Amino acid sequence: MATLLETRDLKKHYQMGGSVVRALDGVSLSVAQGEFVALLGTSGSGKSTLLNLIAGLDRPTEGSLRIFDRDLAQMSSEELSLHRRRNVGIIFQSFNLVPTMTARENITLAMMFAGVPRTERDAAARSLLDAVGLGGRQDHRPRELSGGEQQRVAIARALSNKPHLLLADEPTGNLDSHTSRDILGTLKNLSEREGKTIIIVTHDASLADTYANRTITLLDGVIIDERTPSRV
Amino acid sequence: MTFRDTLGLALRNLGEAKLRTSLTTLGVSIGIASLAGMVSLGVGLQDQFVARFTKSGLFDSITVTPGQDIPGGLATLARGGRRGFGANRRAPRTAPSPDATPLRSDLNDETVKELAALEGVREVYPNVRAPVEAKYGSDSEGLLAAGVPMTAHDEGAFQSITFGRFFSDDGAKECLLSLDMAKRIDPANPQNLIGKDLILIHAAPGSRGAALPPGDAGLSANASRVEEPYRIVGIIERETGPFGGSATVSGLMIPLGRAKAIASATRALQQALVPERASERTYNALIVKVKHAQAVQDIEDQIKKKGFSAFSLNDALQGAKRGFIILDIVLSLIGSIALAVSSLGIMNTMVMSILERTREIGIMKAIGGSDGDIRRIFLIEASAIGFFGGVTGVVLGWVVGRIINFGANVYIQNQGGTPGNLFSLPFWLIGGAIGFSVTISLLAGSYPAARAARLDPIRALRHD
Repeated sequence: MATLLETRDLKKHYQMGGSVVRALDGVSLSVAQGEFVALLGTSGSGKSTLLNLIAGLDRPTEGSLRIFDRDLAQMSSEELSLHRRRNVGIIFQSFNLVPTMTARENITLAMMFAGVPRTERDAAARSLLDAVGLGGRQDHRPRELSGGEQQRVAIARALSNKPHLLLADEPTGNLDSHTSRDILGTLKNLSEREGKTIIIVTHDASLADTYANRTITLLDGVIIDERTPSRV
Repeated sequence: MTFRDTLGLALRNLGEAKLRTSLTTLGVSIGIASLAGMVSLGVGLQDQFVARFTKSGLFDSITVTPGQDIPGGLATLARGGRRGFGANRRAPRTAPSPDATPLRSDLNDETVKELAALEGVREVYPNVRAPVEAKYGSDSEGLLAAGVPMTAHDEGAFQSITFGRFFSDDGAKECLLSLDMAKRIDPANPQNLIGKDLILIHAAPGSRGAALPPGDAGLSANASRVEEPYRIVGIIERETGPFGGSATVSGLMIPLGRAKAIASATRALQQALVPERASERTYNALIVKVKHAQAVQDIEDQIKKKGFSAFSLNDALQGAKRGFIILDIVLSLIGSIALAVSSLGIMNTMVMSILERTREIGIMKAIGGSDGDIRRIFLIEASAIGFFGGVTGVVLGWVVGRIINFGANVYIQNQGGTPGNLFSLPFWLIGGAIGFSVTISLLAGSYPAARAARLDPIRALRHD
């Protein structure tokens, strides 16, 4: 399969006080289209930093990060926002829904930035909420939804601009095990049925083994293990 | 992101913090009310001034005199020249340059029609002073009777006739007296003169009246003496100025039609007696009244191009207007203090809003909102506060202005003055105040908006 993402000697260093924190210290990897990749590692291993760089939310200190053959390290702020708008959909551990907006409005907001006309985005939001099983909860605000429901709204929002790449940072971190499986099942479906490339960050190796095609383990900013689960 | 979507989102955000938005908008509206109130006071005072002086006939009149370059004459005066003894030596008569407009001195009824046809001219009438002898009882006095057009009844001194009324007709044998003159005739009770007759005596050619007594200086048997009774119909307290609606400097005023007839008879007699001094000029000066005071300068220039001398008090009005502009600026600055304070309120509200919505800004950036989108949302929020504050401020300013106006007019009336509109809120001021409010709000919101746009999305997403 064609390579969607490739990093070479990717580094992200932070200045913290008087010392330099090497969050990523030379990561090279490639992800093919339609792959479901899990980034594993302990807290502070650099997996979320890597995900943020791929999302275009942050810039690398050194190295290259190519997505669709374009180097994110060279992109302007405006180009990065276009990348986030068109290429990626991001799902967060804490859902990150706008609390003052309903489920439907949270989804249409992303399409609003993409310039989708109102009627079109309303219809798309309804359809996406139906797809994640929340057709009857469109006008509910996040506080009126359970954690699992909020995460499904976040998945629907991540899908709203039809990205090729879905990035999920600990998407099940705040959910019970049953709901976690439910959410990861939804992501797996998207990968298998719609050919979406999915990269999730998790510290739960068993869940990663169950759903991912490939797991990459980081420690102190470097890849220490990369394997394909035995079931695959 | 379309403007409509940005606007919708901005208004929605403002609606989510109703109390804070309302209080900030109230702050802006007080600032705008103060500014609009101050400027409308300046405009109102200027309008009052201009209206009164325009009505006085001082500023919408142009005096047209023959285009001769007479040293020390009116034309010289109009150019800032000096008159009086020695003026001839200082400003010798000079021949006009070859390319100059030919000078004209034909101030007659044809010229009246010609000037009346100019665009923006309301009325043209001659400035006629008829030489008469006024006789009341056994006393008599030689005078120049000023011809007053019927249209002057609501201008200048004629607006408030102290005793009696204005002329009934242009041909009526009626006269008005200045209070000074009336007092010369009847010092004790000048108002008793109303309804009495003043005999006006003037000379005319031929045998229209009684023959002049033999030996009257310089007049032959062709001249006659005309005696006519003129009913005194009114007394005015003050005399109008030399360039005013009536152009009278005389204590005696008669209808223009009568004055023209007397002047015409006198001139005919003069021409009969001294034919070699016959002139194409019928009148010494014409008064041109314009429709709008602003057009005075333009029409004055057109008249000068025709070869006449012309002057007006337009410059004085322009000077006064400049004074009002300065007054407006001073009042605006005073009014702006409140607006400056409220603009700090906007900035504070927007900064607070960013702090509260930091995570939301991070979310918007994460799902594809660009720095520009975020900046626009905040700028539109600020300008919406400015717009609503501007609209309510103008309404508030108008209401407060009306209340002050009402109170001031009650006081003015109690003091015997004429009430008027001290506050004027023209459309340009309404539009300007709202526009200014939006602009100030945009400026106040630009720093918070830039700050919001610059937020690092990762840090913003971690914000609690």
